[in-house]
Amino acid sequence: MASEKPLGSCPAYSYHTLLWDTLRLICTTTAVQRKNAGASGPEKYTEAFIKKQIEEFNLGKRHLANMMGEDPETFTQEDIDRAIAYLFPSGLFDKQARPLMKHPTEVFPEQRKIQWGEDGRPFHFLFYTGKQSYYSLMHVSILSVINNASSQSNNICDILNRNLAGSRWLTKIELEEMLVEKMSDDDYSRFIRLLEKLVALPCADLEEKYIQKFSKEVPAQLQKVLIEPLQYDERGVAFSTGEGRRKTASATAVVYDNGTGKITVNGIDILHYFPVLQDREQLLFPFQFLGRIGKHDMVCTVSGGGRSAQAGAIRLASAKALRSFVTEKEVEFMRQAGLLTVDPRVKERKKPGQEGPRRKFTWKKR
Amino acid sequence: MPVRWSRYNPSYLEPEVKTEAYQKPLEELTEEEKEQMELKAVRPIKAAPPTLSSSVFSDPMISKFTNMMMKSGNKVLARSLMSQTLEAIKRKQLEKYHKAPENEKETIECNPYVIFHQALKNCQPIIGLSSITRGGKTYQVPVPLTDNRKRFLAMKWMITECRENKHRRTMMPEKLSQELLLAFNNEGPIIKKKHVLHKMAESNRAYAHFRWW
Repeated sequence: MASEKPLGSCPAYSYHTLLWDTLRLICTTTAVQRKNAGASGPEKYTEAFIKKQIEEFNLGKRHLANMMGEDPETFTQEDIDRAIAYLFPSGLFDKQARPLMKHPTEVFPEQRKIQWGEDGRPFHFLFYTGKQSYYSLMHVSILSVINNASSQSNNICDILNRNLAGSRWLTKIELEEMLVEKMSDDDYSRFIRLLEKLVALPCADLEEKYIQKFSKEVPAQLQKVLIEPLQYDERGVAFSTGEGRRKTASATAVVYDNGTGKITVNGIDILHYFPVLQDREQLLFPFQFLGRIGKHDMVCTVSGGGRSAQAGAIRLASAKALRSFVTEKEVEFMRQAGLLTVDPRVKERKKPGQEGPRRKFTWKKR
Repeated sequence: MPVRWSRYNPSYLEPEVKTEAYQKPLEELTEEEKEQMELKAVRPIKAAPPTLSSSVFSDPMISKFTNMMMKSGNKVLARSLMSQTLEAIKRKQLEKYHKAPENEKETIECNPYVIFHQALKNCQPIIGLSSITRGGKTYQVPVPLTDNRKRFLAMKWMITECRENKHRRTMMPEKLSQELLLAFNNEGPIIKKKHVLHKMAESNRAYAHFRWW
């Protein structure tokens, strides 16, 4: 096999066999793509098998690096992805159906070793409950709650605030991956409630470390959006632009300073373009919130969507444009009032076998 | 099995639209409000729905009632009916106001929003009935209701009452304003329905132990 030859022997290499080896590695790796962690039942992939896969992967990685003319030592996963996309271009729509070459630990789901010894006796004392990791976790957490409750007088710390701002609990899928065991939604919610109870108690430092295992940092400050500075047109009036979308409607708004509160949409006054009161209310919402109703002029263009969607799109566009006129604190207030978030609600698709997105066909007995 | 899901991530919080909440200085906030503020600073916030606005004229209860009155998505019609109802209430109250003698003029409430809120509050039941099947027989068990459920029941009763028990020729705003004024004074068929429900709950008190939640 070409894989057993040393890397240095270039003339004897045929790229054909090299390609085939990598192809074989890739094909096997795509075939076993699985999302669920901790496959129950007897081991499907023995340790020896996984070790062999890892060896083959590393070897294949070096071959690939050689093929692409790069240094095998510093060939990262991104380089692998780029190389595979170049050598095996695929037009398939589903990204997961395309050729893929990843480390076997990412591809083969984590498996538990056999939980019982040669005499058939299980190692863990909670094995016969069926969910040994979950129950042992609950036992340990309860113990820490009880210890905490008994030693209440010791340390009163204010780490209470820590959890609220900037961290979240692990999701059910993440917890399943951590324990390599499936659990139901009820089990998960029970565990989270226990953790919250633990946090609510005057906690000691040991518990802090234990809790940190199950909490994740929320990516700090999702905002950090650049607020564009004001632009000035020929007359010297300050203006700024904003764009907004809502449900197929897209709008651009230009907000001018030193205005009288006139708003024009697609060249038509809002009183004629939006005969319904609710839409006009939505247009004026950002201005009313900031208390700047008579102070700005607005010229917008909008297309697509229906009457309410166009109003929502213009509202978002004007709120984005107003950010440049206003202090950072007020921008934060606008965000908390829901003016700066893009509304993700769109029309739900129709499913096959049903008349609409939710409505089923009329049930006929015969 | 209907699955309720939302396009938003569960970490998104509800928006706070009223300007008064943002003008409070830092010292006046209680502990909970401070925690809420910190939470809001980190978490993303949902977009404000088109029915919600910071103007003085937008009222969440009125919007809810309008949505419940709406048929086949005709919000324009529902909204116009609502505004006509409020106008009718105002007119009736003003009539009463101008006819009343001097000393009673202060007791007559003219603000239609106040009347609407008070009427719905009077219509809310305190306790509800839920059917529980035990051993083949279905019992009506008295059960406490959440705030949302109470509000929903009050509004639902109001709307069904106005749609069914009226003469063919009377318009909805007229009938609605009539019912709202009666409910404001704790009279009328909806208040009666509420009292009937309370009596049923009281008579079925023996089955209260069937409730397990």
